Amino acid sequence: MAAIFSRSIDAQVRQTAVGLVVAVGLFVVGWYYYALPSYTRVGYQPEQPVPFSHEQHVGQLGLDCTYCHTHVFESPHSNVPTAQTCMNCHNPKKANVKGTSSLLAPVRASFDTGRPVEWKRVHKLPDYAYFNHAVHVNKGVSCISCHGPVNEMKVVRHDQPLTMGWCLKCHNESEKSLRPVSEVTNLTWVPTAGQTREEIGKAIKKDLQVNPPMNCQSCHR
Amino acid sequence: MTAKAHETHEVAGANEPSHGRFADPLPRIPLVWGPTDFDQLSDQIAGITEQPQPNWWWPALLVTSALLLGGVLAASYLISTGVGVWGSNNPVNWAFDITNFVFWIGIGHAGTLISAILFLFRQKWRTSINRFSEAMTIFAVICAMVYPGIHVGRFWYAWFMFPLPNANHIWPNFRSALLWDLFAVSTYFTVSLIFWYVGLIPDLATLRDRARSRTRQVIFGFLALGWRGSTRHWRHYEVAYLMLAGLSTPLVLSVHSVVSFDFATSVIPGWHTTIFPPYFVAGAIFGGFAMVLQCMIPARAVYGLSNLVTIRHIDVMCKFILATGSLVGYAYCMELFIAWYSGNPYEWQTFQDRAFTGDYTWAYWTMMTCNLIIPQVFWIRWCRQTPWFVLLVVTCVNVGMWYERFVIIVQSTSHDFLPGSWGQFYPTWVDWLQMVGDFGLFFTLTLLFVRFLPMIAIAEVKGVLPAANPDPFMESEYLKVNGQYPTADHERAAAFGAPRPARTEVPESPEPVPSFLAAPGGTGKPWGAIAEFANPHDLLVAARRTREAGYQRLDAWTPYPVHGMITAIGRSRSRLPLFTLAGGLTGLAVAATMQFYLSAYYYPIIVGGKEFRSWEAFVPIFFELTVLFAAFFTLFSLIGLCGLPRLFHPVDHHPTFRRSSLGGFLLTVEAADPQFDPDRTRGFLESLGGKHVAVVEG
Repeated sequence: MAAIFSRSIDAQVRQTAVGLVVAVGLFVVGWYYYALPSYTRVGYQPEQPVPFSHEQHVGQLGLDCTYCHTHVFESPHSNVPTAQTCMNCHNPKKANVKGTSSLLAPVRASFDTGRPVEWKRVHKLPDYAYFNHAVHVNKGVSCISCHGPVNEMKVVRHDQPLTMGWCLKCHNESEKSLRPVSEVTNLTWVPTAGQTREEIGKAIKKDLQVNPPMNCQSCHR
Repeated sequence: MTAKAHETHEVAGANEPSHGRFADPLPRIPLVWGPTDFDQLSDQIAGITEQPQPNWWWPALLVTSALLLGGVLAASYLISTGVGVWGSNNPVNWAFDITNFVFWIGIGHAGTLISAILFLFRQKWRTSINRFSEAMTIFAVICAMVYPGIHVGRFWYAWFMFPLPNANHIWPNFRSALLWDLFAVSTYFTVSLIFWYVGLIPDLATLRDRARSRTRQVIFGFLALGWRGSTRHWRHYEVAYLMLAGLSTPLVLSVHSVVSFDFATSVIPGWHTTIFPPYFVAGAIFGGFAMVLQCMIPARAVYGLSNLVTIRHIDVMCKFILATGSLVGYAYCMELFIAWYSGNPYEWQTFQDRAFTGDYTWAYWTMMTCNLIIPQVFWIRWCRQTPWFVLLVVTCVNVGMWYERFVIIVQSTSHDFLPGSWGQFYPTWVDWLQMVGDFGLFFTLTLLFVRFLPMIAIAEVKGVLPAANPDPFMESEYLKVNGQYPTADHERAAAFGAPRPARTEVPESPEPVPSFLAAPGGTGKPWGAIAEFANPHDLLVAARRTREAGYQRLDAWTPYPVHGMITAIGRSRSRLPLFTLAGGLTGLAVAATMQFYLSAYYYPIIVGGKEFRSWEAFVPIFFELTVLFAAFFTLFSLIGLCGLPRLFHPVDHHPTFRRSSLGGFLLTVEAADPQFDPDRTRGFLESLGGKHVAVVEG
């Protein structure tokens, strides 16, 4: 009576099993690499209606972050400037820096009509996560911690994952990210000689009584 | 022929003082009635899955799958719209969903009780019903597991329940009874599935070896993993089964205890009691046995299984229902008594509302009637031994057990501390449809199971057949004492006929057996020699003689594990339990590391005002993961030690070899044995009385 399976079946079964294990392993590894915000969000760099270069304005000209994002030390929300701020320099009738540049046409149109420039939003937290800019910067968390080296970006890109786990990492060890409040907007700040970043951070943590909450309702209110 | 080689005697002939220390006062009634032998048993059970189904099967499947479709629609509507489509709302936020969940989890308890606890207690009557009850366990737990999946509302986030690393860096709260519940239920499901599958392996081999169509051969060939009934495999298998039974025994008691913690650890009056765990476990076994009977009695009648699932089986199960029902009834009364005696005004007003004055007294008294009062009829023998009447009673029990959960869950939440938040629960059509759909799912799976898989554990029943433990008796005196049947049960058993004595001749081979069997693609060298024997006893004697003749590498191939065969082929007890132990310790270490690291260091969070490292609340998951890992290690070490899957084996070319999973008893001597010589070994096996002796090519 003939056997049901051929002589080679067991080797085939073993190879298939190994193949399946490898495939599942690759899928899991791939999932954790490609499907999380550290891959899907980081690097998002949309083309904006006006090719505003932070590198030029901040890096080269040395504008302070708060020159445009004026409310960040007072408000939970960090504002995007209106065209009026741009027109302090770019107004053809006043300072007239590149006052006729076609690249600035949307800014001028916005200034004339009062309708805002339709910037594409890069950083967006979900509705259910409460985030207060003022609290963070007033306790010595620099802009660079969440937004990356904006002073080097020609076009703004999403630099950090902004996931909950990423938030918690800093809340757990905030001394690693704190700096003097006066240096919060100084994106090129380095610790003064003889002190490490962590020592400075610890001192500030003590001075300003920084006690980052770890409970759910701090952010999910 | 004597039966001294066997340790157990399910069948005694006339009064024989040689059985153990005490003589049986009466002839012992066999577990399987009538003249069934190994081959007939394979025919009877495997035949059900091979022949066309009876006429009612298709309409029945149509009805159950229509109900199932209703459940699918209800779940789809719920998922697409939100949990608001259920009637669950303040103050009754848990209603039909959790009622059904607990109901189905409870149903799942009988299977593991029968397969594990009764196995440890050597209640061999379990062999006729364990497969069916284990299948029901699995189907019931599937029905239950629907609810944790869908009642979270956004079911695509259901994976949040599992401790998986994720971008939020948050982990489940290991101090929550709901998480213990998840671990308990998923461990229970997994271990039950492993237990069921391990039990199925020899029977899948039987189906494979009986299969005529290529499709069935291949499907069951793969599922059976190349099981051939080798004694070298049986020796691991028996120990693995024992290990799984040992692991499942505390598990079956733990699952409903943990489910009861969902309620008992909260402070709602009517929930916050220490009686819950034992009371829930007793109730689960009670309801589980009722559901087993509910399905088994019709199946037994339709498929003519009354020789295997005898009236005595039904009788014993009814006694279980009586015992556990009385335990549950005691718990009901004690709960009520303590509510009054404790002097706790909230507890007492809840129970007054539940039993006497409230909106749900009708449900409470339905529960009391169905669970406490009606099963008391099982004190009467006629009530236990009349299948249609048993069916009526167990239907009441199933209804009553559903109402028990309904009363506990809905009534307690509808009437808690504040009169301002008292209110009723009104089920919506989605609630009803979902519940009906569960029954559809359960019975659809059951119908498919009886259609495609052997509903009685063939290999296990073979081990308790009278033919496996032959005892001499006189045909005219069968089950009689001094020419009279001592009890009605003896008369009933005898009416099925006397057991057929084990056959003494090997049946003919369907095709001539050449002395050397060439196999296509073979090595040209012999693998070994095969001989078939008529019955287990002859095989045992032959194996011993072969060992005595100096052969080392021999193996016996039998449809069920034959006592004494392991030592007869020169092997000792399996070391598989070491792997089980390693698995258990690994599971414990994983559970401890995971919970301490995540709860005390990675994301320390205060729960219930306890210290971060307080370990008491981690115990349920210590236990669950210990059992889960031990079960997985047992399964994989069984497969590994047996060298499975081995879908091809040189012996497959022997014309009668596949009888090893039906009713044949074969002996092989391998060519690797130093004493092996094709002609001499073949001659030796023939001299032992072996038939169809052949040397097969490797």
